[in-house]
This record gives sequence, structure tokens and C-alpha cells, in this order.
Amino acid sequence: MSVPLVPNLLRAHLSDLALNDSRLDDRSQWDGRDVKLETGILARAEGSARVTMGDTIVLAGVKFQIMTPYPDRPNQGGLMCSCEVRPIAGRHWEAGPPSPQSIELGRVVDRGIRESGCIDVDELCIIPGEKAWQVILDLHAISDDGNLFDAFALAGIAALRDATIPAERFEIGEDAPLKVSKTPIMCSYHKVGGRFVYDASYREELGGDERIHITLGDDDHVHSLQKGLKGIFTAEEFDEIMEHAKARCAELREIVNG
Amino acid sequence: MGGYGDVQMIDENGLRMDGRKPGDVRPITIETGVVPVADGSCRMIWGTNEVIVAVYGPMEAHPRKIQRQDRAVLDVAYNMAPFSTTDRIRPGFNRRSREISKVTADALESVVLLELYPRSKIRIGIEIVSAEAGTRCVGLTAASVALADAGIPMTDLVVSVASGKINDVVVCDLNKEEDNYGEADLPMGVLPNTGELVFLQMDGDLSPDEFKQAWDYNMDAAMEVHKLMVEALKGGGN
Repeated sequence: MSVPLVPNLLRAHLSDLALNDSRLDDRSQWDGRDVKLETGILARAEGSARVTMGDTIVLAGVKFQIMTPYPDRPNQGGLMCSCEVRPIAGRHWEAGPPSPQSIELGRVVDRGIRESGCIDVDELCIIPGEKAWQVILDLHAISDDGNLFDAFALAGIAALRDATIPAERFEIGEDAPLKVSKTPIMCSYHKVGGRFVYDASYREELGGDERIHITLGDDDHVHSLQKGLKGIFTAEEFDEIMEHAKARCAELREIVNG
Repeated sequence: MGGYGDVQMIDENGLRMDGRKPGDVRPITIETGVVPVADGSCRMIWGTNEVIVAVYGPMEAHPRKIQRQDRAVLDVAYNMAPFSTTDRIRPGFNRRSREISKVTADALESVVLLELYPRSKIRIGIEIVSAEAGTRCVGLTAASVALADAGIPMTDLVVSVASGKINDVVVCDLNKEEDNYGEADLPMGVLPNTGELVFLQMDGDLSPDEFKQAWDYNMDAAMEVHKLMVEALKGGGN
């Protein structure tokens, strides 16, 4: 990924907007864009989802493979989450090996889902020490207008909830829905014009500073945190974000539980 | 022939497994403007293939060594999403996707008026999100629609269709089973206004008569698909 040029004019404009409690698209500080979630949309995936947030569009697809359990955990299957942002998603994304940005994206989303314990890896075991299911969640960006993190996390958990274990195809019993017991949800905040805003657009990310990602599970338990990019934030700012995240995660969880 | 001849894929009435007659094309829907941040884009659903193409540019070509003083360069990246097939595909480039990217670029370079944009680059991303058979044809066809959607001057659209042979019968637009067990595959890229070709591949075994039939099926199908492409570009999809 080439280093993007950040026009000083954009930064100045974002600061002016912040002073008037406004944003490029007239949202207020804590307003998110409209979220549209569709599931079961990919013919070849065992579970799938598409999330549209403004002009940001992502796909998530679930596939299953047979794996040999790790020697130290013979009774467990596996969960793998991989993320690819290909040049289709925006002019700032370029072809080549995965960039540090896209690796961070995949890993942060992975941690939120994994640590929530929503998938019981013991249940994925077929024959202890020999055979187990590996669940692979692939995240694919179609259009990046900012906040791929939240879009990926939402599409990811929705695709897992949509997934069916293809046991018949592998000739080991009957197809069954993948059990997903919890619904972890991510909310991301960017410092733009000197204050944190929720659900930044691409231009806000471009002219902004540090970002904070929070994944909350059911009962508001915290499952993953990540601070990204250069910048300093205070404990008070974090408290304010956390309060908003609790409310927003509950709203988004309703959309997933539908 | 082909070693899979015992798989019966044409019934006594001459119909194929999905109910099509030998010359029929799978159902197709085309939509433009599906990648809001791109300069042009297209989603093409062809059978259970689903392909999304985004076009960016003309834009600065870098690194500078890829620049051409007298024309633009096309940067085509064909990619199958990991969840697009029955068995997951490991992400990243492989020899197959590189070859398809190259022949797709070769085909499109023949119609895009590259000399209008010296020293620049036009980027075309082709993502197969659901694969059945004939993804290279759908990718190329959708790419020409996305280029038109981006307003890039071209001499013609490109329509790509593959015909082949199953159970010794020549059929148009192979589906997944027919592609797996078939005896031949002839993908072509046609310029519908002139009937000229910009893309041609083939593998398998066809007699001269069968080859002629497959060729004719492709030409007829291309004209049919071209109408849908024009419709989609003129107004809000179909």
C-alpha cells in the first residue's frame, strides 16, 4: 500500500467541522451509518453474509476443512479467520502480499470472535487426536469507504451463525448447523478533528489520527481491544467511548439476532 | 472420449441436466455501479457464477517502469475468493489466476482506446465470489461492462462465452458438471458489433464439424448476452 497523501486542507476542514459538532456527511459525533445485513448470499459458501454500511460493502464466507487436532489439544477443532482486501475495494488498496493493514484487520476481528467463546471448539472434534473440523471464516472487502473493521466483524459473526457443517459431503454423518452461542460485536472509533467519532468514513480515516476498536460480547463483556495508529488518548475519552459502545453493540446485536 | 463417458448428462429428449437445450445459455443478470467507491463496476450473475468487477482510473501509473509513453497500461487482477468454490481456495496469486489475468488484459487491450491516456494506468479488479464454470468468460464480459460504466472509451464491448462437448454432443455455456466431465471446452471473446475475436482458448477433443458447431453456438450466445449488457448499461440493470 502506498503512503497516502493527507491534504492539510482536509485536516483543517475536519477540525472546523468538529468545532461545530458536525461531520463530512452531517452525522453527529456518535452517529453510525445505516447498516444493512444479508445472509445466505453466496452459493458455494457453507455460511455467508454481506454487510453494507453507507458505501462500505464487505462479504464474509465460511468454509469447513478436516484437520488433525494439535497434539496438545487432541479434543479440539479449530477456528481460523482470514482477511483479504484486494484492489477491487478502493484505489488505495494494491495487489501483492497482504499488507500490514489487512493483516491487522483480520487479526483484530479474529480475536473478538475467538475470545468471546461463541464457538465451542470441543464440539468440532470428530475423532479425538485424529480428525476435527476446522472452521474458516474468510472476510472479503468489496468497497472500502471506511470502517472495514466493524463491517468485517458484523459480517463475520453473521456468516458463522448462518453456517452449516457439511458433514454429508465429507461422509461423516448428517449436515448440522454450526453452533454459535454468543454474538460478539465490534465498535470502532477514530480521532477526527481532535475528538473521537464513531464509524468513520474513508476521508475521516485519511484525515484523522488514532483509532480504537472494542469488541463486546453478550452482557457487555469485553473480548478484544486494539489501539491503532499514532496518537494519544485519555482515560476519560476511553470511558466515553466505552459507554457508547455498550449501547451501540446492543443495537447491532439486535440486527444480527434479527 | 475424455474418460468420463459413462456419466450421462443428456437425456433421451436431448435436454441437459439443468433442462437446457444444447444451444441455451444459463440465466444472466447484470448490474452496474455495485462498488460505490470505484469509477466503474459491474456485478454479473451467470448461472451460479457471481463476479464483481471494479475499474479505477485512468490514474497515475506507478512504479514508473510500467509506464508507456504513448498509451495507458491495463492492470488486470483476476482472483477467486476463498469461499467461491466447493473446497476452499488458499488466498493469493497462483499460476491459473495469473494466466487468466494476462489473457483478460490482452483481450481488453484490443478494445480500450489506450492511446488517449499516455503514461497512465487503468486498474481492473475481477473478483469471483461464487464459481460454477466459465468464470474467465464471466470475468472478461463483466470487465468490459465495468469499463463502459467507468466511461472509458472502447471500440466495442467484449462478450465471452464457452461451448464444449458432453456425451459426444456439442453444447453451449457449460455448467459445473458438464465442465468437470465434459470432453472439450472452447472459450471465446467476441466483439458483437463486428464478429471479430479478441480472446480464444480451447482444450479437449473436437472434430472439425463439432468445432464449427461450438464456434457458431458461441457467436449466437454472444449476440444474445450483448443485448443484456447494453440494457444494463443504458438503465438500471435487468
